[in-house]
Amino acid sequence: MPDVVLQARGLAKAFASPAGPLPVLTDVSLEIFAGESVSIRGSSGSGKTTLLQQLGGLDQPDSGEVRILAPGAGLVAPRSSLGHGVGFVFQNYQLMPELNALENVALAARIAGVPSVSATAAARSLLTQVGLGARLEHLPSKLSGGECQRVAIARALVNRPSVILADEPTGNLDERTGAEIMDLLLGVVAERGAALILVTHSREFAERANRRFVLSGGVLTPA
Amino acid sequence: MPWFLHLALRQLFPPGKRFPAFATVSILGVGLGVASLLIVQTVMNGFGEEHRLRIRESFGDCQVTGAAPIERAEALAKQLAASPEVASASLYAEGPALARNGDFSGIAQVRGIDPSDPTQPARKYVYGGSFDELDDGRIILGAGLARALRVRIGDRIEIWSPAMAERAEKGKAPLPAEFEVCAVIVTGFTEVDNAAALIPLRRFREIWNLGPRAHGLTLRLKQPALAEAAAGRLAVGHPELRFRPWQDIKRDFLAAIRFEKTMLFFLMFIITLVASFSIGSTLFSAVIRRSREVGVLASLGAARWQVVALFGLQGLLIGALGTLLGFVLTWTILAFRDGILGTINRLFGGGDMVANIYQFSKVPLHYDATDFVIAAAFTLLTTAIAGLVPALWAAGRKPSEAMRDA
Repeated sequence: MPDVVLQARGLAKAFASPAGPLPVLTDVSLEIFAGESVSIRGSSGSGKTTLLQQLGGLDQPDSGEVRILAPGAGLVAPRSSLGHGVGFVFQNYQLMPELNALENVALAARIAGVPSVSATAAARSLLTQVGLGARLEHLPSKLSGGECQRVAIARALVNRPSVILADEPTGNLDERTGAEIMDLLLGVVAERGAALILVTHSREFAERANRRFVLSGGVLTPA
Repeated sequence: MPWFLHLALRQLFPPGKRFPAFATVSILGVGLGVASLLIVQTVMNGFGEEHRLRIRESFGDCQVTGAAPIERAEALAKQLAASPEVASASLYAEGPALARNGDFSGIAQVRGIDPSDPTQPARKYVYGGSFDELDDGRIILGAGLARALRVRIGDRIEIWSPAMAERAEKGKAPLPAEFEVCAVIVTGFTEVDNAAALIPLRRFREIWNLGPRAHGLTLRLKQPALAEAAAGRLAVGHPELRFRPWQDIKRDFLAAIRFEKTMLFFLMFIITLVASFSIGSTLFSAVIRRSREVGVLASLGAARWQVVALFGLQGLLIGALGTLLGFVLTWTILAFRDGILGTINRLFGGGDMVANIYQFSKVPLHYDATDFVIAAAFTLLTTAIAGLVPALWAAGRKPSEAMRDA
């Protein structure tokens, strides 16, 4: 049986509102195994991004706990696995506008403590793998949306995380480019042995995951 | 290079932009603040130094006087001149007299000096005529006194001393001493220029019936800056004499110059502070604009201190480059100060204040390394704080909030 790379138990999150606490997540539990892909669908405002942020350690749940497999450290709290245990792919790419493609990817490795030369070599190799070998020196402003998302995918993978959390990675792309990005994401993630949690509106893309969930009313249920 | 320093440099100087607006305006603001601070300080130092030099040259490094005219003055001068701290000792005598040129007269502070002494300070302040022509029949006048008497070089004046009044009281005919004006001096000190009259000491003693005595000695010291300590040591064994270092002679005037410099430093420092605060507010808006990036950096595993360093370093870099620019601007503006002042005078009139009021041929300067170190330290500190406040704010935010709010 494959290793557990992400474990969430009893996650709950509510936001303050003038009418009182507004529950977004209610008792969400999830276990993700190495190499598998999981999709989470839900309507706008259903809490998909909030769930992803709790899973990735960008926010703390009100109750419950998350554990992520960090290389050489076992299952740890997501905050301490950021950068090496978990990688993010965002809808708006979120690249550093002043850094070129190579530097954007290398930055993630540098933050994880990889020396500059090794970080640049790893970034170059990954960008070539995602088809941007000829666009290494281009700034994000000189790249198309699809190319930016390829850079973001390379950045998420550069530290060989055990889990990739992708938040609407095709949301800003046209249908054809979106399909290309999904092919790339599923392919590269599988090739590297990482698990993928994909948050998407698209039923078509969600169907391509090994396991599928729907988030509704703060509850996560298998699709 | 740490990644946050690399990113800080890129955010300040984005590739492909020749004049990044934020960095250019901020560095220029700090540079102008530092330059104003240093220009004012350096010119004030220059005025202070120039005045100190003139005080020393007008009154000597140390003045020796007694409650009564000094007996055996020549022997005392020789004894003091032999001291290892003294470069030269020169006797003088002085007293008020009535100077007269026909219908014009004025009160002259006549000083008897040794014309053969090559260190006589008056030599440096000769405005017209020649110091070397000073002899028993000639006199050197301050410019103000010469104007009051309506005399020029070569004109003759009469000097009436109080000793002549004594002669009159004894029933003898009081005859004035006649002198030909051989030079006019301008020292910049109004009180000196409006009253000074220099004659040979030998002649002074004759007119004032002083005999071999003198009123005092002017000492030139080997280390004028240490005059206060030297005066104390030289006074040992001479309880009847008063040794006044040059710092003591015009103490209030020198204190006023120091006070002016301190006040101007304070005012100019506020300018630098304002520049730093504007950097702080600009950096704050830049940090808010980059909220998403702060969230992304957190998602990539950046520690809080690294986010603080990223934005704090930008403030510090602006401070360092602004300080450097301020140094260059200071040097450049001061190198062309007389041209700049001339242009201002031509445009707005008012004449050459430096020459007319201060009697300096050019705006005086004195670069003091301490001023530069203090200006740099203050600027770096304030810009670092200006960068640190928004940096701490950014680093303290939850990554999820940072990404949502941007």
